[in-house]
Amino acid sequence: MIIAFSLYRANLGVRMLESTTELEYAEVDGKLTLDRFSSQSTKIARETADSYHRYHIDTEEVEDADPLPHRFLVEVGKVGLATLLAKETLHYFRPWDPNFDVIFARPCTYGVFSGPVGGFAPKPELCVGCMRCAVQHPEFVKVLPNPDLLELGDSYTTHGHITAIDEEARKGMVPVRGQGYRGRFGGPGFDGMLTDMSEIVRPSRDGIHGRELIGTSVDIGSKPMHLTFDSDGRITGPTPEMFTIQVPFVFDLPPGDLGTEELARVVTSTAAEIDTIACLDASLVLREGLDSPYIAPVMDAVMGSRASQFPNARMIELTLTPGRPWGWDCSGFEAACDATDAIVAVRIAFEEGWQDLMSNAIDAGAKVIHLLADLHGEGSDGTFVTELFKEAHMMLIEQGCRDEVTLIGAGGIVGADHVPKAIISGLDAVALDLPVLFALQGRSHGSLKERALVSGTLPKNLDENWAQQRLTNLCGSWRDQLLEILGAMGVREVRRLRGEFGRSMLVSHLEYEAFEDISGYVGGGS
Amino acid sequence: MQLPQILVDAYDAYKGKIVKPSDNLLHKTTGLLQNGMNARAFGEYPSPEALGDARWTDELILSTWYMAETGKVPSDMNFKTGKSDGGFDRLDFQFLPEEEWLEHSEEIDTAIPLNRRADGKHDLGIDIPWYGGGMSYGSVSINVMMARAKNAKRWNSYMSTGEGGYPTELYEVKENVITQVATGYFGVEEETIQAAPIVEFKYAQGAKPGLGGHLLAAKAGEEVAKLRGSVPFVSLFSPFPFHSTYSVEDHSKHLDWIETVNPQALLSVKVSTPHDVDMVAVGSYYAGAHIIHLDGSYGGTGAAPEIAKKNIAMPIELAIPKVHKFLQKEGVRDKVTLIASGGVRTADDIAKAIALGADGCVLGTTDLVGMGCTRCANCEGGPSGRGCPWGLTTTDIELQEWVQQDWAEMRLDNLYKAMQWRLRDILRKLAMDDVSQLRGRTDLLRYIGKEGVE
Ligand code: SF4
Ligand code: SF4
Repeated sequence: MIIAFSLYRANLGVRMLESTTELEYAEVDGKLTLDRFSSQSTKIARETADSYHRYHIDTEEVEDADPLPHRFLVEVGKVGLATLLAKETLHYFRPWDPNFDVIFARPCTYGVFSGPVGGFAPKPELCVGCMRCAVQHPEFVKVLPNPDLLELGDSYTTHGHITAIDEEARKGMVPVRGQGYRGRFGGPGFDGMLTDMSEIVRPSRDGIHGRELIGTSVDIGSKPMHLTFDSDGRITGPTPEMFTIQVPFVFDLPPGDLGTEELARVVTSTAAEIDTIACLDASLVLREGLDSPYIAPVMDAVMGSRASQFPNARMIELTLTPGRPWGWDCSGFEAACDATDAIVAVRIAFEEGWQDLMSNAIDAGAKVIHLLADLHGEGSDGTFVTELFKEAHMMLIEQGCRDEVTLIGAGGIVGADHVPKAIISGLDAVALDLPVLFALQGRSHGSLKERALVSGTLPKNLDENWAQQRLTNLCGSWRDQLLEILGAMGVREVRRLRGEFGRSMLVSHLEYEAFEDISGYVGGGS
Repeated sequence: MQLPQILVDAYDAYKGKIVKPSDNLLHKTTGLLQNGMNARAFGEYPSPEALGDARWTDELILSTWYMAETGKVPSDMNFKTGKSDGGFDRLDFQFLPEEEWLEHSEEIDTAIPLNRRADGKHDLGIDIPWYGGGMSYGSVSINVMMARAKNAKRWNSYMSTGEGGYPTELYEVKENVITQVATGYFGVEEETIQAAPIVEFKYAQGAKPGLGGHLLAAKAGEEVAKLRGSVPFVSLFSPFPFHSTYSVEDHSKHLDWIETVNPQALLSVKVSTPHDVDMVAVGSYYAGAHIIHLDGSYGGTGAAPEIAKKNIAMPIELAIPKVHKFLQKEGVRDKVTLIASGGVRTADDIAKAIALGADGCVLGTTDLVGMGCTRCANCEGGPSGRGCPWGLTTTDIELQEWVQQDWAEMRLDNLYKAMQWRLRDILRKLAMDDVSQLRGRTDLLRYIGKEGVE
């Protein structure tokens, strides 16, 4: 098996390494002999070792530009506080032993009352809700959840998701806290899926902390299901047409009114920084001169021939013609393929008939399908993306062409845990939409369900370097969290997680197993 | 507002200094905290608006404070369940008609045996079907650790050291202290194994299954480092997994090693709850374990990645029946003690866990809440870097003084009294006079709708 794989690599002379962003596809001519194999494999191994660098996302804590509303409001009754201070001063102050430590002691170790006038001018932005002050002085201190924070987002992308993204984008670290889980049991959508772990296997903590490699790179494009050779050992059939990105997520076409020039520049530079791609409106790419290997221009399928305008792109995405939603525009696709060497992907919404559309696209030669649910992660019939991604994945398996097609998916992915769960459901990579807005401390207005109707604003006078670092931090944090999940499972690379339903556990199934004989249990999951 | 200069100067000199508090300050602060907790728990003031979460609601926290102060269950607060919409919170008992209830009595037996193997080792048991889970010195203060250990002695129960070594103070109550051997082997020595009536192998923990442990540098001070055999103020990773264990046979070798060092010790194996937890449990039994300790994903006291707590492995409610049934099928259920932890909060949770198939439970967060924890989740240091502002999960020289040992021990004793009372209350309403009769009786449970428990 290993030899076969080495032969395959040696024969193609392909460097496909986790750590490199530079890809070389050099056909090796001539017959493959043992000598040739040895010399090629040694050469590749040497080159590889010499050029190796460990993939890493450089995160760095950044200041807030437009901070979210703070978590808590701190209300201090001034009369109560003054009375307390007076009493304590009378009780403890003696000229020979002033007891200042007692008089000045404040309940907050986080500095909320740290100014010279202490509780008379609290700093609620520093409050972490430990409740010590409210318990210690119940007669005049109140700590309340901030309603402005609770109002952020909508019923799917909640303030909890937004604050998590905000923290991840600020610090670039894995959020860590004490005292267990605080949320609801199971839940709908992604919350109803748990990931498995193994008690004894590696790689794990070592991998996460750098001594072993857990790969997060994925291939975008097509790999033949097998190679064919002629009698002289020459490859006669199709060879891989793909490129590799270092994280299993891309930036999606910004929804609604978010597709501004400044956002386009930020996602472009971040995609280059972390080695992924950003899908952007083709005309915006042209207008801003953003054509690069890290951009996937998105254009209407009828404009396919315009793909030639993006000589640097590694991937072009075609959307279906408005008004002809179910018609597969084969001519547009062919025109695009003729016009560019880039991989031509097709964007398909989970609307009625998507399965036929996907089959048509694949029959026509599409190597990448970019699937789109709404921003609550639902198809037009209300089915959640975990089921939809699974169906798409299984279709390809049944057609015997899973490795020939890359599935990218978007919709409802607003938390770090959603990435591995979407991949377990069958995707190769996910596409991020709303997380980009919230990583940059943007604000949304109204519902966040329909892509076209999303409305949001970015902070005024956006500093693009700041924004790039925030987005890089988010990606670093999400990648590290992916490593935590993979490490716990003992899985060495994210590519092996694709469609591994057995690595997940559905709360509804587990509950059924556990509670089926309990009176009143009707199933369906919590 | 302008303060007198003398106060401004004095404040400038004072602020930022972290020193052991003076007696006056200690008296003032602990007095205010304890009075404040009582005032909130007894309803003199309403529940703090921002207190609680779905699993530990404000009522559950305040009722735990009430029990820890009075030794009684409150009459006007839900002290039984949270609002997490699943698991224990959607289960309730189907009590018998009132005329069939037993009298409330101390005769209702809440004790369980821990050694069911009849192998000539210590014949240990506990008087209440729960003991204290591992919270290492370093992750909690010595006051908290000693209060838990002494309370365990009072109740003829146990407390695990966690992975942080064995402070010398603990020898005073060593008959009630479980020595934990975890993947970093911090503080594991021949003497601490020999001192232990039970040795616990921690393979994984529910809050961060498969991820090992991590003590932040700020919390690894001089004393902590000394006990762990490390350098002060350096982050300490407890790797995952045991790098000497790749099979049940390797695991068996571990247990043999303990047996050689302390032939009488019972062996406990702590694992988290993956899909194959049932196989893991059976493997542990055959390797020689007396206690299989399942640690579900929703609990835990230590700092853990948020992504792990919610997503990796399964909640304890779902793991218990799976393991219980599998052990039964294998014909070994009565030869091993099944202990559940990770999100077990109340006496009702304990009773439900037993009805689902466990023999008993391990508590961690409940103890901390009894001592004042508000579940604010800043244990790992928080923005102050000093650890728990209540003095629980910290070794900060000032903050740790807010939890005085005697007071904390008294709180835990009261809390356990109230919990035992409630457990007996449940048993008598099911006409049972021994907690062992409840094991695996899922027929006595009912699954309730979203309206919650009355
Ligand atoms: S709740 Fe805690 S963090 Fe907030 S102001 Fe009070 S003492 Fe400070
Ligand atoms: S920091 Fe907060 S959650 Fe942690 S022990 Fe202290 S009070 Fe409890």
